[in-house]
Amino acid sequence: MSVLLLRLAGPLQAWGTRSRFAHRHTDVAPSKSGVIGLLAAARGLRRTDPLTELLPLRFGVRIDQPGEILRDFHVARTLDGRTSMPLTYRHYLADAAFLAAVSGPPALLDSLQQALSRPYFPLFLGRRSCPPAGPVSLGVHDGMLRERLATWPWQAAGWKQRRQRGHPAVRLEILRDAESGDPLTETAPDQAVSFDPRHRRHSWRSVVREHTDIPNPAHHPAPGHDPMDVLEGWTCS
Amino acid sequence: MTRSIIDVHILQTVPPSNLNRDDSGSPKTAVYGGVRRARVSSQAWKRAVRLAFEEYLDDADLGERTKRVGEAIAARISGLDPALDSRAAALAVSVLKAAGLLKKEPRKDKPAETDYLLFLSHRQQQRLAELAVRSAHDDTTIDARTAKEAANTAHSIDIAMFGRMVADVSDINVDAAVQVAHAISVHHVENEFDYFTAVDDRKYDLQESGAGMIGTVEFNSSTLYRYATIDVDRLHDTLGDPAATRRAVEAFLRAYALSMPTGKRNTFANGTRPDAIVVHLRDTRAINLVGAFEEPVGRADDTRGRVAQAARTLAAYTAEVHDAYGERPAATWITHVGDRTGALAALGTVLPLNELTEAVGATIAGRIGPGR
Repeated sequence: MSVLLLRLAGPLQAWGTRSRFAHRHTDVAPSKSGVIGLLAAARGLRRTDPLTELLPLRFGVRIDQPGEILRDFHVARTLDGRTSMPLTYRHYLADAAFLAAVSGPPALLDSLQQALSRPYFPLFLGRRSCPPAGPVSLGVHDGMLRERLATWPWQAAGWKQRRQRGHPAVRLEILRDAESGDPLTETAPDQAVSFDPRHRRHSWRSVVREHTDIPNPAHHPAPGHDPMDVLEGWTCS
Repeated sequence: MTRSIIDVHILQTVPPSNLNRDDSGSPKTAVYGGVRRARVSSQAWKRAVRLAFEEYLDDADLGERTKRVGEAIAARISGLDPALDSRAAALAVSVLKAAGLLKKEPRKDKPAETDYLLFLSHRQQQRLAELAVRSAHDDTTIDARTAKEAANTAHSIDIAMFGRMVADVSDINVDAAVQVAHAISVHHVENEFDYFTAVDDRKYDLQESGAGMIGTVEFNSSTLYRYATIDVDRLHDTLGDPAATRRAVEAFLRAYALSMPTGKRNTFANGTRPDAIVVHLRDTRAINLVGAFEEPVGRADDTRGRVAQAARTLAAYTAEVHDAYGERPAATWITHVGDRTGALAALGTVLPLNELTEAVGATIAGRIGPGR
């Protein structure tokens, strides 16, 4: 097995798994169906094309920089401005960065990585108005998805790392596909079956939440606190 | 096959303004790089672009997004054959039904309305009207396949660019070939309130003191980084015509550079032109350079030279990204105002906007070719 790593970052992203009607939500981390959709777009698959090859891929994501939820108020009007459509609320994740990992056969991952560097359809982070900042692919690597997510360097922005400079390591949350033997899981309607708008279908996905400690490259220990330093050279007699 | 992707990066300063507000009237914002920024949503700017298209494109290249498509087609039927005027509304209903665009019978004496905003090009409306007229003359029913095809070819430029989703007739969807990012300021902003009083002219004459009304308007001022990208190949797939593709690209560049959402325009008179426009032609993928401004430019209280600093930051970051990933754009053009944005000039060919759009158009034409 190999692992394709992706850095998903930008001013805005949106990963909805259960939006209906006028409230378009986002989850706090990229959804599996969203990332499979991103890979399918890179490959040039149309919504109606079967996802056969991509469905068995295993997926996990690490929350490197959680960002914050932004609620956007959205009105739509006809071009002449006379008719107003229902108001909608779209939620975005602002200022977030994620490390996503996809594992599967090496040949398939290599071709996906190439597709990401020359995508057939434009890429976006969950919603079309959210283009990624910078390149997405961090390359294909050997090993297991769990261990890559548990050890890959911290992907947060420089300012975020510096803000934690007092800490030698940070604890990051991982959300990954459950494997047999995982005791506690939660489920989400996030296993894409078909993106065909005529019968879009998702089945349930079992997700495991766990944590990993990652070194902080910006770690800069504060000098030890020793009030006697100012008395340097003085002695008590 | 040569791949063609056009990235547009714009630095634009707007004075106190409220271009795009949320439901409480505040200018929209977003946090990026850990600090609050001014934000103008992509949807707001796309609407401004679509309205500006009317200046730069022929009506036949454009479309209309409306629920009252029955009215539009009936008018065209009457135009094609005035003798059918009394039956035009009914004919419009039957052709829309044949195309699968209309599910329920319109209410008595009401024009046919679809359940959702339907985005049809003027050419598509015309072809549907022609079908209806032909069926009336031949006294035949309208063939569903022909009607569907009429609604699904000859897409207008704005549909090809921004896409069309029809909830229950999925075979006439069009995937957008243009992505517009939310514009964000390159620096920290806090929204400010303008407290105002309005004087009652009559009471003033009576020398009565006190305001007729009081209120506040919220605003901010910012230097925005705006980014949009056109996937020229996908645009060409949808339009199916190299000449139309070139017209679309040129019109988009002009409209995106020169348009602005109209929010509170009369309150603030905030209509500015971009300080700098950088256009990259790429053959691999789009690259959004917003990362240049993840670290905000300048301190909140230091506005001197903000545009110059933003231009230097963008120029340096562009070179860094290109070096780090071995990404060389196939060509770069720049339009910029004055010395302050001079740092960007080194990235490519400097041209005034009109010549820039023509140069991009000519290069695109050479790449998609007349025959492909």
